[in-house]
Amino acid sequence: MKGLLLFTCFVALTSAAWAADHGPVFGYATPVNSQYEWSFDTGIFGRAGSHCAQFSTGSQLGYGLTPHLTLNAFLPGTFGSASFPETRIYPSGEWTAGASWRFLHSVTSVGRRTEATGSLAMVLPGPQKEAGVLGQLARAPGLAGTLATGFASRGSYLWLGGGYTRFAQSGGDQRPDTLSWSTVYGYRPARLRRGYDQWDYRGLIEFTGEHTGNVRLRNTVQAGTGTTTLWLGPSVLAIFKNIAIEGGVQGPIYRGVPQSIDGREAVRFAINFSYLKYSAHANAH
Amino acid sequence: MKKIVLLTLLMLPALGALAEYRKVSLTVFGMDCAPCAHAIHVSMKGIRGVDKVDVDLNTGLVVIQLTQGNKATMQQFNAAVEKNGFTHKDAKVVAVGKLGGTPAAPYLEISGTADHYALSPSGQPADLTGLSGKTVTVSGALPQVAKGKVPERLTYDSIVEAQ
Repeated sequence: MKGLLLFTCFVALTSAAWAADHGPVFGYATPVNSQYEWSFDTGIFGRAGSHCAQFSTGSQLGYGLTPHLTLNAFLPGTFGSASFPETRIYPSGEWTAGASWRFLHSVTSVGRRTEATGSLAMVLPGPQKEAGVLGQLARAPGLAGTLATGFASRGSYLWLGGGYTRFAQSGGDQRPDTLSWSTVYGYRPARLRRGYDQWDYRGLIEFTGEHTGNVRLRNTVQAGTGTTTLWLGPSVLAIFKNIAIEGGVQGPIYRGVPQSIDGREAVRFAINFSYLKYSAHANAH
Repeated sequence: MKKIVLLTLLMLPALGALAEYRKVSLTVFGMDCAPCAHAIHVSMKGIRGVDKVDVDLNTGLVVIQLTQGNKATMQQFNAAVEKNGFTHKDAKVVAVGKLGGTPAAPYLEISGTADHYALSPSGQPADLTGLSGKTVTVSGALPQVAKGKVPERLTYDSIVEAQ
C-alpha cells in the first residue's frame, strides 16, 4: 500500500520539460542527480502579452536512484487568465512524473564532460483549467519525451535538446502535439572560476522554440490553431555549494500564432531557486 | 591497576603505527561547478575516518586527510567519486602498513583494511633490507583503475619505518 502510494505520488507529480537545478532555466540540459541525492526546485514563471499575463509557480522534486538515473516529480500552480498558446518547454498547469537517464557520459579531462540524457514522463491534467481554447477541451493524460546532449566544462557549456509531447483523446477532444527544442550556451569568465566555497556564477544564452499542432475539438481538427514560436534571451545562474538561484528573461524572435485565438506573448521570464541535498552515505568496505 | 598501566604503555607504540591511509590526493575528472565539488566533499566526509577534504575544481584534485586509527579503503574513496557521476584517475597516497614479500618483490599490506599492493619504485629502488615484516610509511602513487576496482600496484617514492 505504501509502495503504491509512493508510486502514485511520483506519477501525480514531475516534469521532463522544465529544466533548472543547476542547468539552464528555459532550455533542455543533461545534468542528473548524484546517487541518493535529493533536489528541490521551486520557481516563478511569467508570460506577458496582449491578452494580459499569466504566472505560474512550480516545484520539482528529484531523487538520484543511481549516478545516472533520476526520478522527477513536478507540481505546478497557475495564476491569471491569459490565453496563450500551448507550451511544454515552459511550466504550465499539468502535473508530470517521470525519469531521466543519462545514457552517455564521457569524462575527458579535469572539469570537462560530454553527456546525453533522455527523459520520459507521464503528463496528467492538474486541478486548474487552462484559459482560452485549451480550457474548452476535455482533459486527458499525455506522454512527454525529451533528449538533450552537450558538454560542460569550467569555462563553457553547450546543450542541444528537443522534446515531444502527445496527449490522449478524451470525448473527441485532444490537446495538440507539441514539438520543442532548445540550444543553450553558457560561459563562466576566467576570474570567476574560483573555489567551491565561493559563489559560482555563469551566464547563459537560451534559445528555445516550439511547434504545436492543431487542437481537436469534438472530433474535429480545428484548422489554423497550430503555433510556432521562437524565443531568445539571457539567464544568470548563481550557486553557493548546494544552493542555486537563477533568473532569465526571453523575448520572441518569431511568433506564428493565430491571434484571433491566442494572445500575443511579448515576454517570458523565470526565477528559480534550487536546493540540493547530497548523500553522505558511504559504502562499507 | 598496575597491569592496566603496563598494558597501556605496551600498546602505545603500536597505536602510533596503525596500518591505514594517512592522506589521499585523488584526481577527479568531470567536476565543472560548485555543486560537483560540494557533492564530492559531502561524500568523502561520509566515510568514517575522514578528517578533512579539500576540492580544487581547476585542477580536479581532491585531498583527503584521515584521522589516526581509520579503516577507510581506497574502494570507498573511488565509490564516493563514482556515485556522483565523475571519474577517478590516479591518486597520490601516504599510507602506513606492513611490508611483506622480499626486497626484490615487496608488497604493502594495509592491515586495517583489505588493501594490499605490490610495490615498485618510481625511481631508484629503496634499500628495503631490514624492513621486511616491519610497519612502514609509504608515499607513492596509485594508477587509475576501472570502476569498482582497486589498483594492484603502488609506485612508491619513499618507504621509511613507521615511528
